[in-house]
Amino acid sequence: MKPALRVGIFVAAILSALSSFGGARHFTFLYEANTPASGSLELENWVTWRHATGPGRFDQVDFRHELEYGVTDKLQASIYLADWFYKSDPERSGSTYSDTAIELIYNFTNPVVDPVGLSIYGELRVGDRLIELESKLISQKNFGPLILAYNATFESVWERSDLAEREGEFIQALGASYEISPTVSAGIEVLHEFVFPEWRDTEKIRNFLVGPNVSYRRGNWFVTITALAQATDTQDEPDFQLRTIFGMGF
Amino acid sequence: MVSIFVALAFVLFSCELTNYVPPVTPQMATARSGQQVDLVMLREGRTLFVHRCIECHTLPVLWRYSTDDWPNIVDSMSHRASLKPADREAIVAYILAVRSAEH
Repeated sequence: MKPALRVGIFVAAILSALSSFGGARHFTFLYEANTPASGSLELENWVTWRHATGPGRFDQVDFRHELEYGVTDKLQASIYLADWFYKSDPERSGSTYSDTAIELIYNFTNPVVDPVGLSIYGELRVGDRLIELESKLISQKNFGPLILAYNATFESVWERSDLAEREGEFIQALGASYEISPTVSAGIEVLHEFVFPEWRDTEKIRNFLVGPNVSYRRGNWFVTITALAQATDTQDEPDFQLRTIFGMGF
Repeated sequence: MVSIFVALAFVLFSCELTNYVPPVTPQMATARSGQQVDLVMLREGRTLFVHRCIECHTLPVLWRYSTDDWPNIVDSMSHRASLKPADREAIVAYILAVRSAEH
């Protein structure tokens, strides 16, 4: 992809999302244990740019539009209205609808007053020749202005015609965020992925990604950005990812 | 390596001190001179403080702002935190009761 077009896609994604503001995340590749207040409603827009080099090089920008609702003070429900992406590689480029998803998060303990904050997460994605089930154990501990979070994620994917292609994935994610001021936080995120094509570990696919994040919040909106670089050398996996989440509370 | 762990433990311990959110005690109900505060309200205030406020930011040190400032601060964030008037009152009552009890 031409550099100018790459920059243009990213800037357009940001500008288009600026009309939506948001709730407060300190991370973009990890979830935090706390859930929103009962009856609260938030809109979050996710933009993820994935860049891969080498023989399988590509640029892909993923878009997710999430409506988050506090069912109770402990239970959060979300719907991802339409996940879609724009992909450009040496053979073709274009936009594609991926899936629609629903998600539930239930909070058990508090990251401040309890020894550790714990929540469980479940998500179902259904799309054109795609079904994905994802579950997470979310843990978090607050030490004053410092937030430490750990997510353990299990994914099962069925895709392609007749949903014949299967894949499993286990992901460990660790994040740290320090509140520099009441409106700004900065930190780091680390992902360790285990990929099992056809639920076999014969290929020993392991991905390790690490990078900084920064979060800004004001009034009823926030924006959080994370940049991850792949420290391993897995072919056909992005070498660099940049995720931005814009959120607005109603 | 040991010195790194010691330094990390010191940092985390120092940070933990700013998470001071003590459980409600009977002494808090009468801590503010001339005012009797309902213990149920104080417990509700503590629950709301540690749950709602961390949706957007980490908890501030209770002594960072004056007793006169806290009601306005909580009020300014009440819409974002989905706080009803009774919720705001409970949070402010808890914060002020902790401050009064600790002095």
